[in-house]
Amino acid sequence: MEQVSALLAKYEELTGVKIVFQPTTSTQYNATLRAQLDGGIGPDLFYSRTCEAGAELYENGFNVVCNDIPGVMENFTDVARSGFTADDGNIFAVPFAAVSHFVYYNKAIFAENNIEIPATFEDFLAVCQQLKDAGIQPLSNGIADNWDILECVLCGMIPNYITAEERVAYEKGERKLNDETMLRVFTDFSKLVPYLPEAFASIDNDNANVMFGLGQSAMLIDGSWSYGTLAGDDYDIEVGFFPIPAPAGLTQGFSLHPDFGIAGNAASTHPEEVKAFLTWIASVEGATEAAKVIPEGFLPLINADVAPEGSIISAMNAVGEGKPSDMRFVWNMRTLYDPMVEQLNAICRGEQTPEGAVDAINALWEAELAK
Amino acid sequence: MMAKSKTAQAFQGSKSIKPGGVYWVRYILPALAFYVVFMAYPMLDSVRLSLYEGTAGVRQYVGFANYVRLFTDEVVSKRFWNAFGNNWIFFAYHMILQNALGITFAAILTNRTMKGRQFYQTLIFIPCTVAVLVTGYLFKMMMNPLWSKAPLAKIGLDFMIHSPQGWLGDPGTALSAVSLVSVWQWVGIPTMMFVAAFQGIDDDLIEAASIEGATPWQQFTRIRIPLIVPVIGMVAIMTFVSNFNAFDVVFAMETLDGAPNYSTDLIGTLFYRYGVAGQHPVGIPEPGVGSAISTSIFCMLLCGVIPVLVKTQGKE
Amino acid sequence: MAKEKKTRSLKIMNMHIPYHIIMILWSFIAMFPMWFLFVNTFKVKKEIYTNFFGLPSKWTLQNYQSLMASSDFFVYFRNSFLVVVISLFMILFVGSLAAFALAHWRSKTSRVIYFFFVIGMMLPIKIATIRLIQIMKTLGTLNSLFSLYPVYIAMGLPTAVFILTEFIHGLPGELYEAGYMDGAGRFRIYYQIVIPLIRPALATVAIYNLVPIWNDLWFPLIFITKESQKTVLLAVTRLQGQYSTDWPKVLTILAMSALPVITLYLLMSKQFVKGLTAGAVKG
Repeated sequence: MEQVSALLAKYEELTGVKIVFQPTTSTQYNATLRAQLDGGIGPDLFYSRTCEAGAELYENGFNVVCNDIPGVMENFTDVARSGFTADDGNIFAVPFAAVSHFVYYNKAIFAENNIEIPATFEDFLAVCQQLKDAGIQPLSNGIADNWDILECVLCGMIPNYITAEERVAYEKGERKLNDETMLRVFTDFSKLVPYLPEAFASIDNDNANVMFGLGQSAMLIDGSWSYGTLAGDDYDIEVGFFPIPAPAGLTQGFSLHPDFGIAGNAASTHPEEVKAFLTWIASVEGATEAAKVIPEGFLPLINADVAPEGSIISAMNAVGEGKPSDMRFVWNMRTLYDPMVEQLNAICRGEQTPEGAVDAINALWEAELAK
Repeated sequence: MMAKSKTAQAFQGSKSIKPGGVYWVRYILPALAFYVVFMAYPMLDSVRLSLYEGTAGVRQYVGFANYVRLFTDEVVSKRFWNAFGNNWIFFAYHMILQNALGITFAAILTNRTMKGRQFYQTLIFIPCTVAVLVTGYLFKMMMNPLWSKAPLAKIGLDFMIHSPQGWLGDPGTALSAVSLVSVWQWVGIPTMMFVAAFQGIDDDLIEAASIEGATPWQQFTRIRIPLIVPVIGMVAIMTFVSNFNAFDVVFAMETLDGAPNYSTDLIGTLFYRYGVAGQHPVGIPEPGVGSAISTSIFCMLLCGVIPVLVKTQGKE
Repeated sequence: MAKEKKTRSLKIMNMHIPYHIIMILWSFIAMFPMWFLFVNTFKVKKEIYTNFFGLPSKWTLQNYQSLMASSDFFVYFRNSFLVVVISLFMILFVGSLAAFALAHWRSKTSRVIYFFFVIGMMLPIKIATIRLIQIMKTLGTLNSLFSLYPVYIAMGLPTAVFILTEFIHGLPGELYEAGYMDGAGRFRIYYQIVIPLIRPALATVAIYNLVPIWNDLWFPLIFITKESQKTVLLAVTRLQGQYSTDWPKVLTILAMSALPVITLYLLMSKQFVKGLTAGAVKG
């Protein structure tokens, strides 16, 4: 939040245009933004979500079309743009930041137990077992918030098993969601369950972060955005991170999810200023300024090295360097979000087998495609 | 209803003193104006939305498609009936426990000779003043095995937290836990209404009964309770109506999804997810379906409220 | 002798020991979470997790200081206070007028109007948000407290009409029949006789509406973007975003924001008691 204010202050300094920032609560962001846009009192600029949820606002005519904004075509990769492209091919927001998902680990605990960063998923499980045998809680993830077990853990794992093209094949129904690959993903997921905390059913994302931050667990699988807090003044631990390792024999992937873009309100009373700001944010200069102030762990989507030297952003980018990257699996299969959460919950509680889970999910998606 | 003296009855029968609608309209008009412009009209207009699909620019008339979807779509109808069932349980806790506590406290607090009544009543009321965000968080902490098991084990009370899942993590107990927190927080409201009702009872009636040798229990069940039946009906209606619009406590304690496994999903959270927010973070809100949910519940509430109104509010 | 015994047992009965036991028990249940709320506002961020139940290992006033340091908070408190007081006053005033009429004018039309008010309790007002935005836009009241008053007044009216009609209807007729005899105007009867008699009910309505209005986040979030017009809870969300995990700070602010509500409650319950005694004397 201060970061946005800092960015806007910088912009004011450069152009003399003052942008008033109106924060709202994250849990109510979608709802209030929509109500305001729908009622005709939307903000001039707003964060746009990716894929269908973002495109839907555009389809209702709320977004400025960004095709002509200088920089949008030149400074971003197709992958970055694809998250902000509507069905009709128009771009509805300037791509801004992506997130990734990591295994955070407590450096001191790893050192004390002579643990190396695991290279494969099998090694990772061995590390978990070793910690558990030593009486240390391996992971602090829980399921009380629903979203993190899917978005960070499962979607963090999936790029290790499939490529972006294969994801599209699943989306189109060319591949079945209960094929061997998906079954393997869910089976591997189920192998993590014994290493979750005993009280996992009551642990939400905040709890999981605090537990890890206080040194009560050795590892936490969470989003790149958590790095700032975990490594910050709140906690006394030394934090390292690595991507969720791929099983032996598979290519290590990197989950890189275009998280948000910046959209202009088509009904704005200051269309010129809105365009000017979008142009600035789509330029290398603007993105460089933005990279200095956006919260740690949000990776700039611009196709240029704008990360400040030695920053955590460049360290995270380095992890992804040369690895096939992809966005979160369910984002284009909106209706599967809840069923997947439900199945993951059931697996964690021991009420569902991986086979049963993929069959259930596949059946739902087939029904959806048949519509 | 309160017994009216013959003169009063005669009085109300008198035509000159009993003015008609033209006279009374001036008293009702200010309230009606506010109510119609800022509530009834926008709401009725939104009920109309249940016949439409999409938002703003691309709104389309679809007839009863939203209702058909709500009641026949496999996923949507499953969620709806689940939330509907949960809501009845949630309501039962309030209706039985909260109102029974309220009436007990009110009966105690209206003893003229008892000391410290105002003090107790204030204490009962204090939880109502604290934002649900806070009370929800406090109870979440207290019931979370992760933070509470060890400290409670020290004093031998760790059986109270239902380890390892925790009351809020176990789909079998979460709804009860959330309901009890809500009962705890809001019991001050019915208490207050019952106090007001008991205070309205004519002291002479009680005195007469006690002179005739009625025990306090008999006074309570045979005189005080029957006399406040209209207020009991009123509180019952308000409990019913407000519980089917409840939202905050689940939002604060179990997320918008009514976790775990939708076991705490209520109509309020369901409506919010479908109609207002969209399923976080990939969902798209469907105001038409949201509106169909509220309209259906509205009809159900009407069916529940009318008989109670007729029974307890009595006819002239 | 027998008489003495009787007065003694009466004395003991008037101590109401079992009642006190029940009330003390519940007071404890009602207050122990409040106690945790209180002690946790004196802890630093981490300690709330490591030591939720205990006293702070080191008492810190940091949470209160940072609250006091932002002078804006007084503006927010003032706004919330204005919103609550003005809305409640209007709810009680126009609501009791309507209830007075509906309780006395018994006809089909009045029943329909009464029922029309009552059904307002049965729909979530959030459903009407978008239309309300448009109405406020037309009235030009967006971004000011004047966009909140009418919504809250309208929100409170169904319960006000519902409760007050019931109570006015329950008043013994002979209480104001004297007034009619004197030929007093109906409006004078309303404010000189009816209003004092229904004070407990008015207080009930006020308190019933006080809490949701004070704690409403939804409408300020949508209607108000100007700093000078923000309410407390709206301002808290800003802090909450900033300190999304700094619960002691959020608890501090929200605990503080409960104080005005408790104060208003005490003021109103004083009215409440006064109304009762007045009623008793007249009754």
